[in-house]
Amino acid sequence: MTSPSLAASRNASSLESLLRPTLFVSELRSKKKASVLDELAAALAAAGLTRSPEIVAELLREREGLGSTGVGKGIAVPHARSTLIAERAVLVARSAKGIDFDATDGKPVHLLFAVVAPPVEPDPIYLKVLADVVRAVRLSRTRQRLLEASDFDTVREILIHAAAE
Amino acid sequence: MPPLNEQLDALVTLQDIDLMIRESRDPEMAIHEGRLGFARENVQRLEQTRERLASRIDGPLLRTYERMSRRIPRLVVPVEGRVCQGCRMSLPTSSSGRNTPGTSIETCENCGRILYRI
Ligand SMILES: [Zn+2]
Repeated sequence: MTSPSLAASRNASSLESLLRPTLFVSELRSKKKASVLDELAAALAAAGLTRSPEIVAELLREREGLGSTGVGKGIAVPHARSTLIAERAVLVARSAKGIDFDATDGKPVHLLFAVVAPPVEPDPIYLKVLADVVRAVRLSRTRQRLLEASDFDTVREILIHAAAE
Repeated sequence: MPPLNEQLDALVTLQDIDLMIRESRDPEMAIHEGRLGFARENVQRLEQTRERLASRIDGPLLRTYERMSRRIPRLVVPVEGRVCQGCRMSLPTSSSGRNTPGTSIETCENCGRILYRI
């Protein structure tokens, strides 16, 4: 096995410590943007990240109101920092049918990464997590493999490898 | 005015919206988010949300927040297992449950933050 570069190992660790099986929604039930954000917040609550999913959903909606986090190519990264979030987390969610997320390229979103963190200022790690997520899914083959992965462990492995590449 | 627990819900949300407004005005954050492809255009929308939330909070409580939040970052903090999440100190056992309508707000004896009970 080749040893990864220092930068790559740093990249890998940011997502590595945050990706957890309880923070994975294999297939979202909702089809509309607003209800998808509710579903993401509910999943964060179920994983113990917050006890106030309604407020977290409201903050994610407010962030989307500033401009969509649908960055194109089927990817969205809704994110917010909140007093009511216990710790930094990345929730991975998929939608085979796709969601109209007002993405920059107008295309439906199939892969979502909800990034949340407590309101520590400044928080360079939060910014790095956002960057790592976007970087990890820049290749179309990675996105395809993520959509086809049968379980969370596979999703996790694909993301960690892609972030380190 | 809504009951105090609902005012505190509005206040804790307002505090997070204030952070989002600060992020939106931070040039470094704007460059970072722009590079990643996130749009951040309608900042005045956040101001409207803030006004809507402020209208649900009693004047004295809102003014206390406005004044103290300049001094104390994360002025409103949740309580987890009787521990203030602002300073991590245990609250005395006499400190009771959820705020009820008509009672005054609860603050941490150690750090002075406004306590938010979920
Ligand atoms: Zn305290």
